[in-house]
Amino acid sequence: MGKGRMTTLKGFLIGLLSLSLLGGAFAASERDKIVRLATTTSTDNSGLLGDLLPRFTRVTGYQVHVIAVGTGKALRMGRDGDVDVVLVHAPAAERKFVRDGHGVQRLPVMFNDFVLVGPDDDPAVVAKAKSAVDALRRIAEHGGVFVSRGDDSGTHKKERGLWAAQGLTPSGVWYREVGQGMGKVLQIADELNAYTLTDRGTWLAYREKSRLQVVYQGHEELFNPYAIIQVSAQRYPDLNHAGAKALIDWIRGDEGQQAIAAYRKSGEQLFKPSANSVAVR
Amino acid sequence: MGSIAESTQQALVLLFGGDPDLWVIIGISFKVSLTALLIATPFAIAMAFLLAFGRFPGRRLLITTFNTLLSFPAVVVGLTFYILLSRQGPLGEWQLLFTQPAMVIGQIALALPILIAMGHSSLQATDRRAWETARTLGASRTRAVMTLMREARFGLLAALLAAFGRIIAEVGASMMLGGNILHYTRNIPTAIALETSKGEFAQGIALGLVLLMMAFLLNGLLQVVQGKGRPVA
Amino acid sequence: MTELTYSAVRKTYGKREILAGVDFSLRSGRCVLLCGENGAGKSTLLRILAGMERPDYASVTRDGVTRRWREVKKRLLADCIYLHQTPYLFEGSVRYNLNYPLRGARAIRESFVREGLAWSGLDAIADQAVHQLSGGERQRVALARAWLRRPKVMLLDEPTTNMDHACRQRTVELLHALKQEGVALVVTSHDPNHFVGVADEVLELASGCLGRAGPAYMDLPEKVTPIDRRARATA
Repeated sequence: MGKGRMTTLKGFLIGLLSLSLLGGAFAASERDKIVRLATTTSTDNSGLLGDLLPRFTRVTGYQVHVIAVGTGKALRMGRDGDVDVVLVHAPAAERKFVRDGHGVQRLPVMFNDFVLVGPDDDPAVVAKAKSAVDALRRIAEHGGVFVSRGDDSGTHKKERGLWAAQGLTPSGVWYREVGQGMGKVLQIADELNAYTLTDRGTWLAYREKSRLQVVYQGHEELFNPYAIIQVSAQRYPDLNHAGAKALIDWIRGDEGQQAIAAYRKSGEQLFKPSANSVAVR
Repeated sequence: MGSIAESTQQALVLLFGGDPDLWVIIGISFKVSLTALLIATPFAIAMAFLLAFGRFPGRRLLITTFNTLLSFPAVVVGLTFYILLSRQGPLGEWQLLFTQPAMVIGQIALALPILIAMGHSSLQATDRRAWETARTLGASRTRAVMTLMREARFGLLAALLAAFGRIIAEVGASMMLGGNILHYTRNIPTAIALETSKGEFAQGIALGLVLLMMAFLLNGLLQVVQGKGRPVA
Repeated sequence: MTELTYSAVRKTYGKREILAGVDFSLRSGRCVLLCGENGAGKSTLLRILAGMERPDYASVTRDGVTRRWREVKKRLLADCIYLHQTPYLFEGSVRYNLNYPLRGARAIRESFVREGLAWSGLDAIADQAVHQLSGGERQRVALARAWLRRPKVMLLDEPTTNMDHACRQRTVELLHALKQEGVALVVTSHDPNHFVGVADEVLELASGCLGRAGPAYMDLPEKVTPIDRRARATA
């Protein structure tokens, strides 16, 4: 390596370093323009947030950093003060979160429902089930494979609730806990030709790529409400509470609610706005 | 689910059709990994020198430690720094979790053992006479160090490329520490993980192709440089 | 006219005593030939003289001032150049290597390099990569590189080992030239006959002590019995 080239290289490296430091400083000064939202994979993977948030940014100037994980993890991030606001779907856990003082208030945003999807030929005859609980019992008894999220997400909590309602503890080779997000679980269920419980939003987003069918739906046990919660300002005074408040106000305001109602995937509405209704459960 | 050929074709369209999202992701990957490498390298080289030529108690133990860290799983590094950087953790005050600096920190931790272990062995392999010759010809200590680095440059370059290859393709730590935030901390590997989970294989393949081409390019570069300078005998 | 005197140089490796209180002096324009068995400590002595290796004890008098090792080491490094038995050349061209010890503006360095190439007769291969050179050529590159540093003292470890007659001849010629320029030379060799006509003095290192060379090395009239090293060490 010649001396000249060495110097060019050095110059290049120094330039790069100062550039990245500059970038870092820039990012730091922008901190109060950023809202960190922990949410579930269902809101993100369905494409809803990709549709909503740019509108929010246009109106308010806030950038939203979306961290899409399971509901359990999202609430944990809120509890630890690692995010400003959470958008999740596990009412019981949300109530506890607020009761324990981690969140300000639980505010409904929208809802859809869970559906049970499974193989086309429905070996466990789930379609004839009288309730969601009955449907799961049939799968357990008639030997269909069931894929469980197994990640403490809202969907997983819901599923466990349904098993618990009939005093069952599912286990055995037919019950596969995979510990993945909703989309991944739908893929796995598709590959294994298995049953699984999914929120309707994600299902609609994946339906075209899947050979599975909806085998059970419509029962009130499968109601799936989403709520937004601002992380406690008392515990973490230095979070971006103004930004979190702005996001909550916008998403529950007319513009946000209309956008949710208008969001379509393959011509189907994924979520129904519910800010003005009292959460049923 | 499209066939492989179909997905690959879509991938090429995405790549060369200039899909802006894709290029933002690629840009973030390079920015974060190059920054991590830039910060890690000076320290790593100093450490490698110390291990190669220093004589102090605990030196053997340090070498063993860094060699062990080489095979430290990225997710464990991710978890460790997640716990440290979380608001509940000892460094929570910095509010770095789910930011690019957090990813940089994780990648530094991943790059250091490679840089140090490989740097150490390439410096160790330099001729003892190189240092003596430099010194006897009037080189200051600093200049002698530079000379030694020049003599070991192929090994050091290989260390740099290996470290870069590891951190730019690593998903565990980036996912945990960055949070896979679109346009901010979503880099090539976390994007591949996400797109795959969404069943969008085309974008995953496009990004995979970028990584593949880059690995090819870096290795080619290394071969060329080494071919030019290595003594035949 | 530089004069360097080293007194009571001692060095042990573990239990083995390599140098048991050696006295040695250097004067410009003089060439000392150092003989001795393999492993007698010739290289160690050279490296200590060059300030590259720490002795257990030594005091050095430079231009009439006596100093402890710690203080004098830097000066030794500046005054002396040590050449390894097989010289180490930095990867790159001959030109790159000759440029290495030089400081100052580019044009000045380039003119010095040209001078060095002419001095050593390496013009023809100035831009060759050093790993393509023969052993003799490498030796000459190392000598020219050392010469360009304008050292007061040059310490050469077995410079003619594994060389054919012609190469040896050229090396000896360069040593002559160095002597004429007033450089103090210390050369180690198995075979003193290579340096007849260059060496002003032949010394033998045996059992850690330095004495006039014995008859095994050279047909010199004065036979010297090796000095008893214990007596010497206590002296």
